[in-house]
Amino acid sequence: MKVNQINLQIPRYYRKWQQFLLKQGITGFADAELSAIDRTYIWTNEQREVIATGSLAGNVLKYVAIEPQYQAQGTMFNQVISYLVNQAAALNRFHLFVFTKPQYVKSFEYVGFHCLAQTETGAILENGTPDIHDYLNQLPHVADGKKVAAIVANANPFTKGHRYLIEQASQENDAVYVFVVSQDVSLFTFDERFKLVKEGTQDLENVMVVPGKEYMVSYATFPAYFLKDDQNVGRYQAQLDAELFKRQIAQPLGITTRYLGSEPYSKTTDVYNEELKQVLPPEVKVKIIQRAQTADDEIITATKVRQAIRDNDLQTIRRLVVPTTLKYIEQHMNELKERMNSNGN
Amino acid sequence: MEIKQTALAGTLESSDIQVTISQGNHGIEIDLDSSVEKLYGKQIRKVIIETIQAYGIENAKVKAVDKGALDCVIKARVMTAVQRALGTSDEPNWEVL
Repeated sequence: MKVNQINLQIPRYYRKWQQFLLKQGITGFADAELSAIDRTYIWTNEQREVIATGSLAGNVLKYVAIEPQYQAQGTMFNQVISYLVNQAAALNRFHLFVFTKPQYVKSFEYVGFHCLAQTETGAILENGTPDIHDYLNQLPHVADGKKVAAIVANANPFTKGHRYLIEQASQENDAVYVFVVSQDVSLFTFDERFKLVKEGTQDLENVMVVPGKEYMVSYATFPAYFLKDDQNVGRYQAQLDAELFKRQIAQPLGITTRYLGSEPYSKTTDVYNEELKQVLPPEVKVKIIQRAQTADDEIITATKVRQAIRDNDLQTIRRLVVPTTLKYIEQHMNELKERMNSNGN
Repeated sequence: MEIKQTALAGTLESSDIQVTISQGNHGIEIDLDSSVEKLYGKQIRKVIIETIQAYGIENAKVKAVDKGALDCVIKARVMTAVQRALGTSDEPNWEVL
């Protein structure tokens, strides 16, 4: 048996790899999933047939599959996972995640992974350091018996709408966690978004702005390649995210209410909010706040702000964002537009 | 000595142990995951702690996923992980052996 790293950019390797995965029942090969992969390994037997494969996409293990006749007692599985974990370590990645079907949770737990959340269709597990406990220990903690709320925001960028939502929560609670989504898939980088949320809420003393890290997984980036196409991917992702929030974040931090903005435009976000309402109660209440509007009944969204940046429409931007964000946009207008042109968001 | 960077050694195959060592602040903390924990958990922890202490390290976080490794294997894996974490892989500390 031999293990090799393969380059999926080369068509004949890609075909071989894809054929193998199809045979094992993995059918999702969306571009978004594939482009995230940076290392792929295949195991072959003496007849040079592929018997197993596994990939790394940043700190996520993906496309792990093993030919059934080699699955006995899990030795091949342990070998594949060990190898991937070791390769990741060599790349200085010590904190790994895997998204998988519920029936494989046990197998991953056996090799040191820890289950963060599980639903009927999928599960998310993590391994290594710093883990969820380290993350929670880093966060500021609120004394017992206080009323604690949470908001999760991408804030791309921070608008008057976000401000309004946070203000509501701040007035109705003793303390509010604002988790800023850490994943960098937005026009504004995480550092920028975080800074603007912090600056924009500085006067609200009971608001704690913290990074969401890998635990506020943005529903847009959950891998779902192992699900069948007919399964409702959006719903599955939202459920898993909600479950993770409820068990691993809300419970240890004593969060009893999660605030959401109503969603008049985006169907996906609407589905997401629906799922949160299904999963979180009764332990965590869900409170939906009507979107803030400007003086002339215009609904405030970050999407509109980005469109206005594209159009060089400072007038509109001024109406939609708080002064700190406005200042930042004014100073970085050209840079932001350049980013838009280069990656299309 | 202090651990600055995280390091890993070993595999998850039968009779081996995978050891990850990272920076810690509260002595040597061990998170052990072993199928023979009930029988040998105490001994495994002892070997890990003694090996780390032989390097003069007082604080470290250790995650160990054991698949039935013998003491000599545990020691070897811990040594490798420690030396990788200290960045001294090419100058083994023979005295620890």
